[in-house]
Amino acid sequence: MIMKKVLETKSLNKYFYKPVEFHVLKDINLSIYSGEFVSIVGPSGSGKSTLLYAISSLDREYEGEVLFNNTELKSLTNQKLAHLRNKSIGFIFQFHYLLADFTALDNVMLPGLKLGKLSHEELEEKAMQKLDLLGIADQATKKVNRLSGGQQQRVSVARALINEPRIIFCDEPTGNLDSKNAKVVFDMLKNLTREFDQTILMVTHDDSFSSETDRQIQLLDGKILNRETR
Amino acid sequence: MNRLPILKIVITHLTSRKRQTIVSMLGVTFGITVFIFQAGVITGLQDFFIEKTINSTAHIQIYQDKNQKSPPVLLNVYHDEQTWVSVPNIKSKNELPKLKRGLQIVEILESYPEVTGVSPSLSTQAILKLGVADVSGVINGVNIRKENRLFDLEKDMVNGSIIRLETVNNGIILGSGLAESLGALLNDNITVVSPGGVALQMKVVGILDTGLRDLDNNRAYSSIRNTQKLMNVTGSYITDIKIKLNDVDQAGVLAREFQSRFGYSAEDWKQANEGIFSVFRIQNIVTYLVIISILLVSGFGIFNILSMMIYEKMNDIAILKSIGYTDIDIRNIFLLEAVFIGFIGGLIGLLIGFVISWITSVIPTNIEGFVSSEYLNINFDPAFYLLAFVFGLVATSIAGYLPARKASKIDPINIIRSQ
Repeated sequence: MIMKKVLETKSLNKYFYKPVEFHVLKDINLSIYSGEFVSIVGPSGSGKSTLLYAISSLDREYEGEVLFNNTELKSLTNQKLAHLRNKSIGFIFQFHYLLADFTALDNVMLPGLKLGKLSHEELEEKAMQKLDLLGIADQATKKVNRLSGGQQQRVSVARALINEPRIIFCDEPTGNLDSKNAKVVFDMLKNLTREFDQTILMVTHDDSFSSETDRQIQLLDGKILNRETR
Repeated sequence: MNRLPILKIVITHLTSRKRQTIVSMLGVTFGITVFIFQAGVITGLQDFFIEKTINSTAHIQIYQDKNQKSPPVLLNVYHDEQTWVSVPNIKSKNELPKLKRGLQIVEILESYPEVTGVSPSLSTQAILKLGVADVSGVINGVNIRKENRLFDLEKDMVNGSIIRLETVNNGIILGSGLAESLGALLNDNITVVSPGGVALQMKVVGILDTGLRDLDNNRAYSSIRNTQKLMNVTGSYITDIKIKLNDVDQAGVLAREFQSRFGYSAEDWKQANEGIFSVFRIQNIVTYLVIISILLVSGFGIFNILSMMIYEKMNDIAILKSIGYTDIDIRNIFLLEAVFIGFIGGLIGLLIGFVISWITSVIPTNIEGFVSSEYLNINFDPAFYLLAFVFGLVATSIAGYLPARKASKIDPINIIRSQ
């Protein structure tokens, strides 16, 4: 079976210049294939998050190439990049990053409103489906700052899903949750890859979770330790 | 569909920070209210004054300039450039300021299609006496019917009637201020003494109140015949011809034409009131400066509040960008918020400004001074409302644009990484 490459990096290097010059990512070559559940692991300070930001289009100050569907990210205008994020990328961050003044449902709908493919009613229905899938449909009309941490993180998972992206990037999605909620959220992510063939790239320092993913990319001092197996 | 998500965000931002929104709206509202009120009062007063002035002064007045000094006769002999002639103490010719063929000129003027009314008159300084009181004033000898057609004197009569000037022998109509300082009432007999020493007994047949203090304190009307008696001159003697026109704006052009045609000075109403109009110009500049500075202050208010809001909303901006909102979307969100504040604040400002102006216009104020009037005359010209509103919108848009552009340039990675 030929797996389609969603993402590929070629000799990715990244430096920090402040306060002193620091070589964060060293010659990273990796590929993410469609339908994979990949985790990036490593001790703190190893450059996991930096790598995630660079390959997820958030940070474009790198050297080398990041190809998303064979398009170099640096070659895109801000406008096109925004469209790419909207349509093809979902984000889940450690601190849930929801818009505090909006309801859970509104938060989930926001990327869909921007994409503008569905009518308002269709979109609302779809957002409700996603919330239902994550078991928080009953919280839809509450403002997100009245939800618990676990519920908030599930809202952000639903938001990441709304436009059916090619890939979801997760930055320590369970890092800010208690173990019970962490397990719930992780199981949902895993479920998405198994049942819906969703491609997910996840940064985590929790070995119990990373061991359940298809593939682990181990990072140490900005270098990939294990060789690419595929 | 593309505008909708922004609108939703804008409305949510504005309604979830109600106090901030209201405070910045109040800034705009206050600015616009002051704009409307101040412009209404100032220009209302000016319009009132101009209207009164136009109504009570001639559009064009033809008269002979008494102080025209004849050039020294020596100049007739020595007129090459190398010769200087200096003749001190030249006196005016002993010539009365009479308009020769004055009544013919009146007939010619009446045949002009632009002219709606012509009133010949003569005037003289005089001392008015009643018992021990004496006051100086100006006696205008007029054909009261013609004068009334020009200045609608009937409207301003507070006592008596103009027609009695024709029916009562030796009748006189006094300005209200003049009557007051004399202590004269209707039907009192007063003595009028001219500079030439002629004294006439006259009967007060009317009292006139125009609202222009200067006129009311000085002016009295009598018939042409009586005034000629006072001045001890013949029956064809007139000194002024007052003219009303269809179109006041033609006054300047026609005045010049009359001046060259008849050979007498012709002054239009703008020249006659030059001093007042230059005061108005300065007044208007000050008014607009005040208004602009108020709007600037409210503009800075909006600028500050939006800047602060963007600071608070850094997270939101980073999230919106990470889920696919463009720089332009972000800019439009904050710009739209500013415009929205300007729009609503402006509308409320227009409304409050109108209400305050209206209340002021119906409360009796009894102003005494430059002009006297029972109510403040306030200008409700819609042009001001439009101007204020547009100006408010422009000010808030500019004030909102700068922080909005700053917000659009925020790089989400800086926010996300710093957590």
